[in-house]
Amino acid sequence: MTSSAGKSKKKGSINGLYRQAGLTGTIALILGIGFLLVPLLPGEFPVIVAVEILILGLFAMSFNLIYGYMGQISFGHAAFFGLGAYATALMFRAFQGATGEIGYLDFFLSLLSAVPVSAMGALVVGFFCVRLTGIYFALLSLAFGELVFYVVFSWYGFTGGDDGIQGLMPPPFFRDTVNYYYFTLAIVAIAVVVLWRITQSPFGYSLRMLRENQQRAAFLGINVRLCMLVNFVIAGTFAGVAGALWGPFQRSVSPVLLGWTQSGIPVFMTLIGGASFFGGPMVGSVIYTALNSYVTRFTMYWPLTIGVIILFLVLFVPGGILSVVDARMAAYRRRRESDADISAGSADGREGVQ
Amino acid sequence: MPTDIGSILIQLFSGLSRAMMLFLVSSGLSLIFGVMNILNFAHATLWLLGGYLTYTLFQLFSNTFGDHALLIVPAIVIVTGIMFVLGWVLERVLIRRMYAREVPEQLLLTFALILIFGDLIKLIWGVQNRRIFLPIEPIAVFDSYVNPYFFVIIAAGFGVAGGLWWFLHRTRYGKIVRAAVYSRDMVSALGIRIPTIYAGVFALGIAIAAFSAGVFLPIMPIGLGLDMDLIIQCFAVVVIGGFGSILGTFVASIIVGIVYAFSIFIWPGGALAIIFLILVAVLIWRPWGLFGTEMRY
Amino acid sequence: MSRKILEVTGLNKHFGGLHAVKDFNLELFEGDSLAIIGPNGAGKTTLFNLLTGYHKVDSGSILFGGMDITNRPSHEIARAGISRAFQITNIFPKLTVFENVRSAVQTQMGKAFDVFGRADKIGTEETENIVDLCGLDKRIRIVAGELSQGDKKKLELALALAGKPKLLLLDEPTAGMSLEETRETMILVDRLNEEFNLTVLFTEHDMAVVFNHAHRVALLHNGEIIVVGTPEQVRMNETVQRIYLGEDA
Repeated sequence: MTSSAGKSKKKGSINGLYRQAGLTGTIALILGIGFLLVPLLPGEFPVIVAVEILILGLFAMSFNLIYGYMGQISFGHAAFFGLGAYATALMFRAFQGATGEIGYLDFFLSLLSAVPVSAMGALVVGFFCVRLTGIYFALLSLAFGELVFYVVFSWYGFTGGDDGIQGLMPPPFFRDTVNYYYFTLAIVAIAVVVLWRITQSPFGYSLRMLRENQQRAAFLGINVRLCMLVNFVIAGTFAGVAGALWGPFQRSVSPVLLGWTQSGIPVFMTLIGGASFFGGPMVGSVIYTALNSYVTRFTMYWPLTIGVIILFLVLFVPGGILSVVDARMAAYRRRRESDADISAGSADGREGVQ
Repeated sequence: MPTDIGSILIQLFSGLSRAMMLFLVSSGLSLIFGVMNILNFAHATLWLLGGYLTYTLFQLFSNTFGDHALLIVPAIVIVTGIMFVLGWVLERVLIRRMYAREVPEQLLLTFALILIFGDLIKLIWGVQNRRIFLPIEPIAVFDSYVNPYFFVIIAAGFGVAGGLWWFLHRTRYGKIVRAAVYSRDMVSALGIRIPTIYAGVFALGIAIAAFSAGVFLPIMPIGLGLDMDLIIQCFAVVVIGGFGSILGTFVASIIVGIVYAFSIFIWPGGALAIIFLILVAVLIWRPWGLFGTEMRY
Repeated sequence: MSRKILEVTGLNKHFGGLHAVKDFNLELFEGDSLAIIGPNGAGKTTLFNLLTGYHKVDSGSILFGGMDITNRPSHEIARAGISRAFQITNIFPKLTVFENVRSAVQTQMGKAFDVFGRADKIGTEETENIVDLCGLDKRIRIVAGELSQGDKKKLELALALAGKPKLLLLDEPTAGMSLEETRETMILVDRLNEEFNLTVLFTEHDMAVVFNHAHRVALLHNGEIIVVGTPEQVRMNETVQRIYLGEDA
């Protein structure tokens, strides 16, 4: 979207690719190839990290539907991630017989159950949240998130309370990390394509209108609250799908998945990658999750390291990493073009969100 | 419901002392948001840091001057001063750069501070819980025993509340701060140096939090992770009371503290679920809080 | 006369102690072009806000094409066929000009909730027509926030037209425009009115614009209509000369 489909002179280079496919396409290609090749890396650890990157990346992309596209901050988004995770885990437990084994159909049904549960949760929470905007939207979503967290946390009989639910052993094929990785990659890839279509649909542009100017959108005939609610439910459902994938991989779920620190994760990933880019949250997830995993390996004091990195990013890279890449690429392209011919009259209009 | 007056009294004391702690930490949070529009997620982490510093200073004094319960007083006073300076520096160096930014970016910065200070605490003090033991005999109230230190805590809470009220309503600087809650433009039009006010308010908020951490050390052990639980409850208090309203924060603290203590009779373990249910209700009914004014959004 | 399109009866609005709109009555017929004039604070913008559901009315009724739209939400009124262009430009600053108009067109087509379609394939022809009509065809790829003030006003009008309105409310359509832009814009408004039989209700400070382009003129003062008539009648009216045209009368 960002670059016009102009004739590229240097195919093969990232810049040439960028000219042809735009930033989103370039990222999709680089990440896609990268994700496919991860299992070739030595050891199991990169694959484990990559599963987390994918799941949390999808979680962050669903959050960005509310933040980057609709212009509101949900600070309780983990509630839907957690509801999805718990729905799957509870179904898992129901299907697991005395042997603790679960069949393939039961496994898929467990995963699927996350969709209606997180969607219903988002519908209830969203019904109230969309009446507010700005900081109050953020606070109400946070309050609901914590409410759900504490209910799950305190309801020992049903949710296992703060012990969570253990022993979620998927069917044999999915116990292999690499198999589970490709399975996750497939689900996340499908989800991302659907998300992309949503952001490029008329509804996606309705969201952008709400972000830019709610009042005007209403005067043009958009039912603002309904539009926000529909988006809230869509975003919550995708968060639930991400959550569903989490439990069978980690073999357990715990209330932490619904808490406010978990809600912070997509916010931070999105800001690190760049909220105004479709791929921003996923790039943020790659950076955040990989740092998290690898820094933890080398030092006990990883929060300190990550804290300093985040501090640096907030202070000096305000639009996220992709905005820097985008600006660099645009500047490079402009230089190349003005070297080649100085005829181009219409400069490329840069868009808010891809 | 229990019928004996003793256990009700104990819950009352426990609720009130929790209310005092919530108030002491939340008042700074509320003031900082009211004046600068910054949600300081790191507030409780700085509170925790104050607690650890007080602990260390108290140990140092005890080793130097011998065991004496009252040595906690100079320890608290000195730490309050240190944290005031730290708050000032943080505002000048970091927070100041965030005023023009969007809310999530502000949250991200203060979250980075949580990670940094939390890890520094772990680096210096390790993962053990810390507390100060004071030789205090419990006193009998009806059939139960109450730690008389509760009275110190309640006095500290009311003292700070009164002091803040006096500062905000009776002193020149306090009036400027209050005016800044309502209209920044007016205050700068009066020719008052806004940056100094901002740094002062931030430092004051941090200092009060550090003070409360010290005051609570003899009855509450501190440990890593406590800050994360506390900050979220403080947000609840601040929102229920209304941003920028000290009276609102005080009343909300008491509501939350009492509900927390007495919920044990209705739904043991469900205290925080009830509190967040209240928060949700308040946000739906009056987003600006019980004592706030509907103005900014 | 043709069909009655808008009928406002006994409209009242208070803001605290201020009686912003007082027993306001107005009838508009299809193809009408009525200018509302009046000093600042006369209640013009409040009136528009009441007509478009931004403010709730205290009393009175608004019938649009026979349908009661009193106190309906803004989006329903918009869907019923009243579009509004704002005095202070009220656009989507980070979307391109084309995206601005296309999104408005898609909303009009009832596609605002279409999750499966492709935004770049829907309503583009209509969008191009409107963009051309409003003289923005050379600006379509520019991000709206970076337009000149005059172009922003044109986009404002384009957004209003995208709603395929039966009634167009224009709040100071030429404010902030150069003479040339003012001329172009008013020629466009006249064309919409004459060729497309669009009913236009507008407020305007520029008296030359008012008297050259409106079929009828109404003077609003302190929330009340003082006089309605042809431009000639209003120009000659003594009250108008006294309260509006100033001391020199």
